[in-house]
Amino acid sequence: MLLTRKSTTEVQRSGRLSRSVAGFLGNTMDRRTFLKRSGIAVGAGAFASQLPFAMMDKAQAAKAEGDGKIEVRRTVCTHCSVGCAIDAVVKNGVWIRQEPVFDSPINLGAHCAKGASVREHGHGEHRLRYPMKLVGGKWQKISWEQAINEVGDKLLAIRKESGPDAVYWIGSSKHSNEQAYLLRKFVSMWGTNNCDHQARICHSTTVAGVANTWGYGAMTNSYNDEQFSKCILFFGSNAAEAHPVSMLHTLHAKENGAKVIVVDPRFTRTAAKADYYFRTRSGSDVAFLMGVLYHIFKNGWEDKEYIRQRVYGMDKVKEEVLTKWTPDKVEDVTGLPEKDVYTVAKLMAENRPSTIVWAMGQTQHTTGNAIVRASCILQLALGNVGVSGGGCNIYRGHDNVQGATDVGPNPDSLPGYYGIAPGSWKHWARVWGVDYEWLKGRFASEAMMTKPGITVSRWFDAVLEKNENIDQDPNLRAVIYWGHAPNSQSRNKDMLEAMKKLDLIVVIDPYPSATAAMAALVRSDGAYLLPAATQFETSGSCTASNRSIQWRERVIKPLFESQTDHAIMYAFAKKFGFEKEFAKNLKIVKPDPDKFEEPEPESVLREINRGVWTIGYTGQSPERLKAHMRNMHVFDVKTLRAKGGVDKETGYVLDGDYFGLPWPCYGTPELKHPGTPNLYDTSKHVMEGGGNFRANFGVERDGVSLLAEDGSHSKGADITTGYPEFDHVLLKKLGWWDELTEEEKKEAEGKNWKTDLSGGIIRVVMKNHGCHPFGNAKARAVVWNFPDPIPQHREPLYSPRPDLVEKYPTHEDKKAFWRMPTLFKTIQMANKEISKEYPLIMTSGRLVEYEGGGDETRSNPWLAELQQDMFVEVNPRDANNAGVRNGEFVWVESPTKARIKVKALVTERVAPGTVFLPFHFAGWWMGQDLLDKYPQGAAPIVRGEAVNTATTYGYDVVTMMQETKTTLCRISKA
Amino acid sequence: MARMKFICDAERCIECNACVTACKNEHEVPWGVNRRRVVTINDGVPGERSISVACMHCSDAPCMAVCPVDCFYKTTEGIVLHDKDLCIGCGYCFYACPFGAPQFPQDGGFGLRGKMDKCTFCAGGPEPDGSEAEFKKYGRNRIAEGKLPACAEMCSTKALLGGDGDVLADIYRQRVLVRGKGAEVWGWATAYGRPEQKQAAPAGKGG
Amino acid sequence: APGQQPFVTIPQEEVAQQQQQRQETQPLNNAPVWREVRSGQGITQIRGVETGVLVQSQGETWREMRNGPVTFYGGILMVAVPVLILVFYLVRGPLKQHEPDTGRKILRFSAWDRVIHWSTAISWLILAITGLIILFGKYVLLPVFGYTVFAFLANLSKNLHNFVGPYFIVSALAMVVTYAGRNLPRAYDLQWLAKLGGFFSNKEVPSGFFNAGEKLWFWIGVFLLTIVVSVTGLILDFPNFGQGREAMQLANVIHAIGALLYMAFGLGHIYLGTIGVQGAYHSMRYDGMVDEAWAKAHHEYWYEEVKAQQKGSVQAAGAVGGGEPQRA
Ligand SMILES: Nc1nc2c(c(=O)[nH]1)N[C@H]1C(S)=C(S)[C@@H](COP(=O)(O)OP(=O)(O)OC[C@H]3O[C@@H](n4cnc5c(=O)[nH]c(N)nc54)[C@H](O)[C@@H]3O)O[C@H]1N2
Ligand SMILES: Nc1nc2c(c(=O)[nH]1)N[C@H]1C(S)=C(S)[C@@H](COP(=O)(O)OP(=O)(O)OC[C@H]3O[C@@H](n4cnc5c(=O)[nH]c(N)nc54)[C@H](O)[C@@H]3O)O[C@H]1N2
Ligand code: HEM
Ligand code: HEM
Ligand code: SF4
Ligand code: SF4
Ligand code: SF4
Ligand code: SF4
Ligand code: SF4
Ligand SMILES: [Mo]
Repeated sequence: MLLTRKSTTEVQRSGRLSRSVAGFLGNTMDRRTFLKRSGIAVGAGAFASQLPFAMMDKAQAAKAEGDGKIEVRRTVCTHCSVGCAIDAVVKNGVWIRQEPVFDSPINLGAHCAKGASVREHGHGEHRLRYPMKLVGGKWQKISWEQAINEVGDKLLAIRKESGPDAVYWIGSSKHSNEQAYLLRKFVSMWGTNNCDHQARICHSTTVAGVANTWGYGAMTNSYNDEQFSKCILFFGSNAAEAHPVSMLHTLHAKENGAKVIVVDPRFTRTAAKADYYFRTRSGSDVAFLMGVLYHIFKNGWEDKEYIRQRVYGMDKVKEEVLTKWTPDKVEDVTGLPEKDVYTVAKLMAENRPSTIVWAMGQTQHTTGNAIVRASCILQLALGNVGVSGGGCNIYRGHDNVQGATDVGPNPDSLPGYYGIAPGSWKHWARVWGVDYEWLKGRFASEAMMTKPGITVSRWFDAVLEKNENIDQDPNLRAVIYWGHAPNSQSRNKDMLEAMKKLDLIVVIDPYPSATAAMAALVRSDGAYLLPAATQFETSGSCTASNRSIQWRERVIKPLFESQTDHAIMYAFAKKFGFEKEFAKNLKIVKPDPDKFEEPEPESVLREINRGVWTIGYTGQSPERLKAHMRNMHVFDVKTLRAKGGVDKETGYVLDGDYFGLPWPCYGTPELKHPGTPNLYDTSKHVMEGGGNFRANFGVERDGVSLLAEDGSHSKGADITTGYPEFDHVLLKKLGWWDELTEEEKKEAEGKNWKTDLSGGIIRVVMKNHGCHPFGNAKARAVVWNFPDPIPQHREPLYSPRPDLVEKYPTHEDKKAFWRMPTLFKTIQMANKEISKEYPLIMTSGRLVEYEGGGDETRSNPWLAELQQDMFVEVNPRDANNAGVRNGEFVWVESPTKARIKVKALVTERVAPGTVFLPFHFAGWWMGQDLLDKYPQGAAPIVRGEAVNTATTYGYDVVTMMQETKTTLCRISKA
Repeated sequence: MARMKFICDAERCIECNACVTACKNEHEVPWGVNRRRVVTINDGVPGERSISVACMHCSDAPCMAVCPVDCFYKTTEGIVLHDKDLCIGCGYCFYACPFGAPQFPQDGGFGLRGKMDKCTFCAGGPEPDGSEAEFKKYGRNRIAEGKLPACAEMCSTKALLGGDGDVLADIYRQRVLVRGKGAEVWGWATAYGRPEQKQAAPAGKGG
Repeated sequence: APGQQPFVTIPQEEVAQQQQQRQETQPLNNAPVWREVRSGQGITQIRGVETGVLVQSQGETWREMRNGPVTFYGGILMVAVPVLILVFYLVRGPLKQHEPDTGRKILRFSAWDRVIHWSTAISWLILAITGLIILFGKYVLLPVFGYTVFAFLANLSKNLHNFVGPYFIVSALAMVVTYAGRNLPRAYDLQWLAKLGGFFSNKEVPSGFFNAGEKLWFWIGVFLLTIVVSVTGLILDFPNFGQGREAMQLANVIHAIGALLYMAFGLGHIYLGTIGVQGAYHSMRYDGMVDEAWAKAHHEYWYEEVKAQQKGSVQAAGAVGGGEPQRA
């Protein structure tokens, strides 16, 4: 005990402190600094970025830590797509503190529980420490060498016996852009399209639906841009829990008069912050949106001029809405009375620009593609798209799910949405510097090379399904979980069967994850765990929801024996014998003497820059991104645009750039395109981030022009009417060809803007003529290539309303859909009356403290302490009927007969007839704690039942998105 | 002289618990001890409001008054700190505190609670500023580093403000003015008594 | 979402309805919600005692009680009682035994009687001293010793108090059982009381094994106040049963008041057991024997009974002290 301390007198004691406090108040902490440090300027009406840069400098932070080498490394939170910046303070290689980055225009220093506790990654108490192998049902430590050799040999044997398509690669939205990109390249060189990642079960329906409406399948505006909104409709998003820091901007907008509406089956924490809340029935989304459109058309609130110039097919939609979606029908399906739907329509119409926000509430349905398109149609009708303050603010999921979708392991496309047609392969073979024929030779056949692979949502069916029913030669024999949890896919009961049957299961993850426990539950061997490093243990870029790309510096060296994902990829490439092709343009480095060598992330990003022209991942050179990270303070919080600013280190002029060069950032870095803050915004010049809808669906349909009408074009464009996308032919016709340099001409000859590796076509079109390389067209209210060209309401497969199933039946079954037979009608009909036995709608979603399958966050004591039990939210009425009281254990049983044991949380948050379960838990299996199935010491602190043990069959008709938002269950006292 | 205070703006707080984990992280507070917590009233129904609460560093601090060893002291900025070397872990401060701020690492029998721990406004304790001993017992001393409390700095929505009471009141008043509602300031009357200067305090009821 | 705490919530439909109505009539007024802050039980993810309570106002009441009347009147009591005893002693002197010792001893307290008495007495003394340090040390000792020494003392006191407390309870209960029979009230006790035992008239009123004063000490002090301080003490001493602050506050105040009264009473007892009554100490301290003269002087009826019994049975002397013979 330090008892003598107290002999100082009162005066002295407070004197010491007052000195320090007075000191900072007097010198370093003036009023402005205070406002800035507390980040409150945003609420006070002033903006932090208008105040002079006066942040505590690194030296000062260092001083506080005493001796030792102190460094501050700027990184980005890895727990969601908001992309909050973090300053990590590192002393002698140990991550000792984290500081908020007030300068970040995205988060102004703010975090949610997860971001505020990421430093725990530097401890990694519950991490997987070394490679492990399942031997006789027990996890055993092995060396990396043994791991790569054994796993490699097994995979090669399977490849030899059954072909490359017998192995399934589940990549990750938690990988950096570089790693995600490399994984797609890696899998291609392995010779299959059987790869996928979280986007499939997250926003695949959004990406497909939205891209098919107007060009790109991404959030059109940004969180920040909501500050320009006058009305914000949250429909299918619980941002307060899933994107907490986005609420900083939303609430600011609200305080300045924007109306906030939440429509959701649950009274969410977002609803608690709204001006209006309306409760719908889960799974009735198209009907609701159509109901809103009904009032808009009925009252003539649509933006007729906008529609005439920029939208195709709205008349057909209008006709259908007015006849099919009268208020009585809307009420019957959604449960919302006419006056509520009218209120929403009126608020959205009268407070323009208005925006709609969505996430999983819309996407995770068998009709997800239709729901998101209905949302797009709503915004098109109101003329809100391409408008600051409007747009579709689609909140993405993981920290880099946007990037992994853009350039990562998708089963149906190559980086940059190039597709998998031979032309696309050729483009990428050229970028990678490999021979197309060699690449083709890696595949089972050219047919398999151009056939979309199996999706992550169905991999286990590809193990279990009869061989003749699947659309590839072998069944799956091995699966590699490379940064993905198993409890995030639905139907875990079936997955467990598949795990039993596989020849090999490999987990490459910083945390052993639920996969390890599930595998050990049903297997005694043939399973490997390889410790991956987290994103704090390497560098690389990640794309936030608003398409801004941020560069993470490496905070610490990979902990324990873990290796970075790209190092592991390179090691396997060597094992498989294609490391030369894999790393043709890449610089190989060895950051730590005791770790593997790996491709340098910067060189990977440069390769991405050289190949991804389609969506403008070409302008974001590592140098530009790093300059942005160093100079966050020059970016305006509302517009994200830099006001002046020169990077001290490189002399790079930041002026005019948008923060993180939100894609599309067209052309080469030298073109200095500033990035695009809001997509399709005609009020700006294309070189200022302006644009228009993409010409991607032809120029004409049934005699109607698909190009924009006269007078509708981006500001300052030389062509003032609609036009198709640019290629060498069009350029020549327009007489612009000679504006290319000789070298550019050589490269651009015979190419279009997407395949011209010189970037010359883009340069000329954009810089010299103010035109958009992808053309200028109309958005499509009718997407004729989809099963429901005009969005249709179809009842979920497990519906509580047999009468509505009659009226709004689901799709016909599909035979070979992403290589798998997929049932719709068969399931729905077989379960039409099932609600008699399983009367409660079961929906699932997020808690603010945990992320995804939850293995990372449930291993973090600072978070785990906050959520110690898996639970089900039950309305008091249903609880009373089941004789269940708050806090008691209940069995939740679904029509699959899977039963999960969880605590009841009796609350009005859910309506009678609906229950909600968070999906972040795992580690229990139908009442049994799997603690002993984890490698010793590596089980997460908190374990519980996974809701997906109980979820049922159901997939989106376009993307194979799993239905995890609407199914049925019953509860009984445990 | 600045008078350090906290405000939690219930119109903004979204119960994201960042303030809670920020504190844990910054000070390496052990499992079971929570210097800050977020309380939600009317959970799940319209009228739901969340408030983040920790030690409010009261003007006339009840904890200080009841401590049998007089181990609390107050800085001239009004930060209420205590000396763990003196604390006998009797729990009296916890009984007295309106906000449930004092925490104990144990709740063992025979009154074995361990030394009381509570929010320090990130101002450490009696040990030399920034010393290892100070960190071990009280966590970081951000105030001495010229920083504000970690919880407030990282608050996701800037609901939680910590700092000079006059500045806070200004900001808060401006917010209320802009949005035209939510004038209630939770906890101020209890923690700081009646407004010291009329203009310096936000109009407030609600405890 | 549920931690441990949330499970105690009740659906708050009513407030919600009020709030909704309020939004319609007075759109910017959240009064019903704010009223809830004061009275209601909220939800929080933090586990622990009453973590869902935002403001507890009883704390202030408790502080006012403890730092006010309890400390103030308690302090006065703790000073006044010794002073009064001292004055009494100086004025009246000890109760004397008027006749000289006979040299014949009779057994008053058996070994067990004495062991249990001292076990209780010593633990009581420890509790009293440590309790006083906890309650008044800050005002009395701190200025004298300074923080370093006082904190050491206080810490020691707290721990001693918290561990000796339960020991005391066990011991005191055993003592109650041991001595209860001899403390049953008798008709002559009233007389003793009416004359205040003769303390002020210097003419002792005859009594049984114990006089009425001792019986009062036994029933009010040793029996009743032990229960009071024990129950409240246990509530305070074992916070690990999740009892709320209100229980603790109440327990503390009752404990302190009970303890103060107990100490005041105890001081009187100790006075009489030491210097207040000549020779009394010996019976408890050494071999449990008293001189017949002493017995006659202070417990005349008991003396007579012992004598009567001795006549009846020679061996009976050994059994004396086991109980007071019945008397009409
Ligand atoms: N804390 C935390 N944050 C996260 C994540 C996390 O795991 N934890 N994950 C990230 C990821 S990967 C994603 S994709 C996002 C997801 O973010 P969100 O989609 O916002 O989160 P969810 O909770 O899945 O679902 C959103 C809302 O959909 C509602 N809902 C349920 N059924 C229906 C329905 O049928 N129709 C409609 N309209 N709504 C319905 C739910 O009640 C819920 O309020 O969050 C990201 N952020
Ligand atoms: N019932 C139900 N199911 C759902 C949902 C729902 O709302 N309801 N939501 C769905 C959605 S939107 C999503 S996105 C998914 C999310 O579910 P998942 O993405 O499967 O869940 P996470 O736990 O985020 O998985 C990420 C894994 O990557 C690991 N990891 C982290 N960083 C790295 C790294 O740098 N390298 C490697 N190799 N691994 C790393 C983590 O340890 C973790 O094991 O769940 C889906 N499932
Ligand atoms: C230093 C402290 C004490 C001294 C010197 C002391 C002394 C004595 C003496 C001499 C007697 C015998 C009286 C007689 O012969 O009639 C006695 C009796 C007794 N004492 Fe104490 N005592 C002390 C403290 C206590 C305490 C703290 C308690 C209880 C909490 C206690 C409880 C009793 C009881 C119960 C009796 C028997 C009388 C009766 O039942 O009324 N004593 N004590
Ligand atoms: C003869 C009996 C006792 C006396 C004279 C006594 C006296 C006191 C006093 C004066 C206080 C201080 C009150 C304050 O500061 O407000 C106190 C506190 C306390 N007492 Fe006792 N007490 C006695 C018996 C007990 C017993 C039997 C227990 C427990 C089983 C107990 C447990 C406590 C506890 C837990 C406290 C709170 C202080 C702390 O935890 O350090 N006491 N007591
Ligand atoms: S989880 Fe999302 S909102 Fe929370 S700190 Fe991380 S990036 Fe920001
Ligand atoms: S909030 Fe509680 S602990 Fe903090 S100063 Fe006030 S009474 Fe003391
Ligand atoms: S627990 Fe410590 S700080 Fe609190 S009143 Fe007791 S001695 Fe004082
Ligand atoms: S001010 Fe500092 S010590 Fe207090 S709650 Fe906030 S972070 Fe924790
Ligand atoms: S960080 Fe801010 S918004 Fe989040 S719970 Fe704490 S006070 Fe509320
Ligand atoms: Mo997601």
